Amino acid sequence: MALRWLVLTVLTVLWPVAASAEAVRVAAAISLKEAMTDVAAAYKAEGKGEVEFTFGSSGQLQAQIEYGAPVDLFISAAHKQVDELVAAKVADGSTKRVVAGNRLVLIVPAGAKSAPARFADLSDPKHRRVAVGEPKSVPAGQYAAQALKSLGLLDSLKGRLVYGANVRQVLDYVERGEVDAGIVYATDAIESGDRVRVAARAEPKAHDPIEYPAVIVSNSRRRKAAGDFLDYLQSEEAREILARKGFTAPQTTPRE
Amino acid sequence: MTDLWPPLLLSLWVALLATALVAAVGVPLAYVMARRRFPGRSLLEALLMVPLVLPPTVVGYLIIVTLGARGWAGRWLYHFAHYSIMFRREGAVLAAAVVSLPMLYIPTRAAFAAVEKEMEDVATLMGAGRLATFWHVSLPLARRGIAAGLILAFARSIGEFGATAMVLGISSDPGRVTLPISIWVDYEQRNLAHATAAVVALTAVSLALIMAYNASSVSRQE
Repeated sequence: MALRWLVLTVLTVLWPVAASAEAVRVAAAISLKEAMTDVAAAYKAEGKGEVEFTFGSSGQLQAQIEYGAPVDLFISAAHKQVDELVAAKVADGSTKRVVAGNRLVLIVPAGAKSAPARFADLSDPKHRRVAVGEPKSVPAGQYAAQALKSLGLLDSLKGRLVYGANVRQVLDYVERGEVDAGIVYATDAIESGDRVRVAARAEPKAHDPIEYPAVIVSNSRRRKAAGDFLDYLQSEEAREILARKGFTAPQTTPRE
Repeated sequence: MTDLWPPLLLSLWVALLATALVAAVGVPLAYVMARRRFPGRSLLEALLMVPLVLPPTVVGYLIIVTLGARGWAGRWLYHFAHYSIMFRREGAVLAAAVVSLPMLYIPTRAAFAAVEKEMEDVATLMGAGRLATFWHVSLPLARRGIAAGLILAFARSIGEFGATAMVLGISSDPGRVTLPISIWVDYEQRNLAHATAAVVALTAVSLALIMAYNASSVSRQE
């Protein structure tokens, strides 16, 4: 009797492990959350395989992978995190492909009065708090800092910037009206629906091109399956899903 | 890229203020709970102790939906005073206080319950009022339990991360980053040297506090 319970318990505990043994584990930038979930559902529906995600800021995921998290494929919201992992030989640079692009927007809480109408308005100190991603670990924050700097706004915003641990936290701060404005991706504003309003779009020239590079992690035990999913990400079907969620198409030639 | 000192100082300040707040609220409540019976007593007791088992994310969430700019009470504060508890140091104090209240409440209530009722009755017979009895008899007799509770509450406050991180966020100002948050930020930015220094500092402070607690509870038994 006791033995039967032991066997049952062990099986119950091991069940999720067994079930996910075949799944490709993907660490993806949190801005991709809904789009990647849809892509994975289509991938599964076509009988191509299972994909499991962990979402976070690209810097957070980079740290986890560098410390040995069992991830097969990493999709970052900027080149920096991928390139650093490649330089550290943690990721295989020969597998790097750009799978999507995005744009940067200035958002304000829905119904906010005297909200900034363009980026330059942020220099007015009456906008007491402006949220951006934490610039060292959150790509949306990197791009935001570049855009603010190229517009000459970064110094005047000192002391008024609030950092989000990832771009969705920036979105949350704006939705809750805790900040007067925030800088997120165009796709985040779409996901938020009518809780935020897009006040302005950043000039793409004002920051590095927003690209989502994917790379296979060097010590992945499912390189073949990870490669298959990476191929699928570049397929027509996947691009269509990403486009539907507002992502722009990657440039035809992947950057090295 | 955070220096060790500003976060350590902020954490100590937050813990000190949170412990003072917890003492002001928790000690009288513990006394009342140990001595009086009234309707709703068990619910109140459960409310005082539930932060012990609730994830700090629940505490953080409740603070934000209550006192945030669009919270049910906070929206009025925000409307009239343009005040929101988010990103503010007092938000960190409130988060730490809620989470550490049970740490003070439990030993303090036990200490008050252990004070012999006769001692209080004698004081009352000799003409002392309720407040005087509490102040001159019950409180001194329960002091060891209260001291143990204060140490635990302070230690818990210094270690608070989840609720504090939700309320305080990540500030660009190192004077608004607590020590546990700085460890998280340094980890994500892979500043291992900074993270390690903060981990060592926090572990040392916490160990010292637990040793102080152990010393106080050992001497109580002797």
